[in-house]
Amino acid sequence: MANILLTTQCNRSCPYCFAQREMSGSPRDNLLSWENLIYIADFLKASGERQVSLLGGEPTLHPECVDIILYLLERGFDVTVFTNGILSAARLEEFRRHLTDIPIERLTFTCNLNDPVQTPASHQEARKIQRFLFVMGPWTMPGFNIYRLDFTLDFLFDLINRFGMKRHLRLGVCHPVLGQRSGFIGPRDMGQVVERLYSYRRQFDALRVKPGLDCGFPLCQMPDEVLGWLHRFPGPVQFGCGPAVDISPDMSVYYCFPLARYKRKSLFEFDSLGQLEDHFQLLRHEIKAELPGIYDECDGCPHLENRVCEGGGLCHVLNRFMDEAPIRIPEIENELAQNRLSS
Amino acid sequence: MSWPRIVCPPNRSLLRSFTERTVAVRVAHPHQAAQAAARVWESGNHLFCVIIDSSFSLDKIELGEDLKHVPLAVMAPSWGKFRHLARRLERLRDFNLRIYLPGDVLENLAGLRILSSLGIHTCAVLGNGRMDWDALTDLMTYAVLELAPHASMEPFSFIASRHDPFSYLEWGALYFDDPKSFLHLDAKGRVALSAAELRNKQFIASSLKEIGEPAEFPAIRDRLQSWRQFFVDNHPCASCGGWKICLGRFAVALPENQGCAGFFLELMDVARQYQARKVQAEELRIWQP
Repeated sequence: MANILLTTQCNRSCPYCFAQREMSGSPRDNLLSWENLIYIADFLKASGERQVSLLGGEPTLHPECVDIILYLLERGFDVTVFTNGILSAARLEEFRRHLTDIPIERLTFTCNLNDPVQTPASHQEARKIQRFLFVMGPWTMPGFNIYRLDFTLDFLFDLINRFGMKRHLRLGVCHPVLGQRSGFIGPRDMGQVVERLYSYRRQFDALRVKPGLDCGFPLCQMPDEVLGWLHRFPGPVQFGCGPAVDISPDMSVYYCFPLARYKRKSLFEFDSLGQLEDHFQLLRHEIKAELPGIYDECDGCPHLENRVCEGGGLCHVLNRFMDEAPIRIPEIENELAQNRLSS
Repeated sequence: MSWPRIVCPPNRSLLRSFTERTVAVRVAHPHQAAQAAARVWESGNHLFCVIIDSSFSLDKIELGEDLKHVPLAVMAPSWGKFRHLARRLERLRDFNLRIYLPGDVLENLAGLRILSSLGIHTCAVLGNGRMDWDALTDLMTYAVLELAPHASMEPFSFIASRHDPFSYLEWGALYFDDPKSFLHLDAKGRVALSAAELRNKQFIASSLKEIGEPAEFPAIRDRLQSWRQFFVDNHPCASCGGWKICLGRFAVALPENQGCAGFFLELMDVARQYQARKVQAEELRIWQP
């Protein structure tokens, strides 16, 4: 599935944001045009895609966000919108008028929610998020980014119940951003994250909320008990790091936000999504040939060889290069040098 | 020259004043369209289409189910908002219609592309307004060369499929503005050569009977050969590379429309590519029993 960035503007400043560098380097008025949107829709259709995700910045800041969602639905795509839920009253009214009769199977909002204690929002922002959930709750799936080890999830279960949200919690761990010394969950902390997550098992089970693991979770950090629990939920459990394929308003494409500056290309250089994914797979193989995963133990790991686990996120792997000298592939070294990561 | 089609208001007595003609009736509101079509059929004439010449934006035009089998040309000044149109797209796709939007408004160019990508046939009205020729070139390239399925967009599709580098191409008929194909009547039956001339009350005859043989009628003949005047006057358009398609259509707005030459040259090139692609596709096909 491809991610289309509608704008590079955002109305929130999360401490863990891994898109910040990419967003701040783009012009403020960078909005996706209809011409580019139609090109992307044609491109994805021709590639056999049936799902798209809309991202930003904050995608709902695009003045024609509602029209774009309706257009993509009309083109036959199922649409997921990644939002922070901070919408103006006027924009929320547009959503209520035009989107609340769309079947919930075809339209999903993944609302990225922050812990009100650990990452407090202003009173006004919190009110706006609640208003959004009040109107769009049944179309909304909660999302949570883990950026500290003492994270809590209780507030999410409360919101899921209060606003009748979709029973699927998207859980992401904060990744290192190439060229930016940002805070992130390091490979050695993954086990602790999994342990803390599993401590919420009772709430997940009682409310029938599925924990949806985003990219970068390594399989070896999951005790068998946790794995058994995860596999009891419908749908596959993946420990991958597939290319997210982010398409920005200026039509450049990159592997994912943390690797936004790393070997980005233009969408116009490719004929299909398959070709684009092949390009990113090649890039991945190139890096993985040097360092197979985020742990030393990844080298020779049967799960990695069988592709059951990808050995953690590629951004983590690249991040390991920072501590390794000399870097062995000149091409990678050159790219990293551009991002001032080379030793 | 066969008799041009008639464009007139849906006036019952006017329609009965002639028979066996092919007629396009012009109405201002969609709710008048079904009745207008019925009047043409009652009068013993053939219906070419109903032209809904609306002053409302496209998203505000409601087409009733009774228009499903009526050929329609829906003309609107602007595109409006997709969100308001979204619920009516199914109907627009099912109906026998083409949507006309002025090409000198940037939002309309996006609207034309959106509609075409959703399978709705459209037409960009290239008037004398100030065009964004670059944006229009982009739209034309999409309309003619884009491989993703989309509905036809005029005048680009028409020109691309009929362009012949060795002859002139007249495409005013797409806008009902070519006297070889269309004559315009007012409610009193007076005849004008185009919709604009009808609005300005520039009539060439007081009735159709006055015209007799159209090819021999002086005003029509002069109009059909009016392009010659560009050469007589040594007008810059006559020596322009895009002349064979443009035929001086934007001469009135020169020099503001400086970009028109580049656009029409590009259009010729795109037309050549389109035709070459068609020939290539035929050559690749194996023999058929």
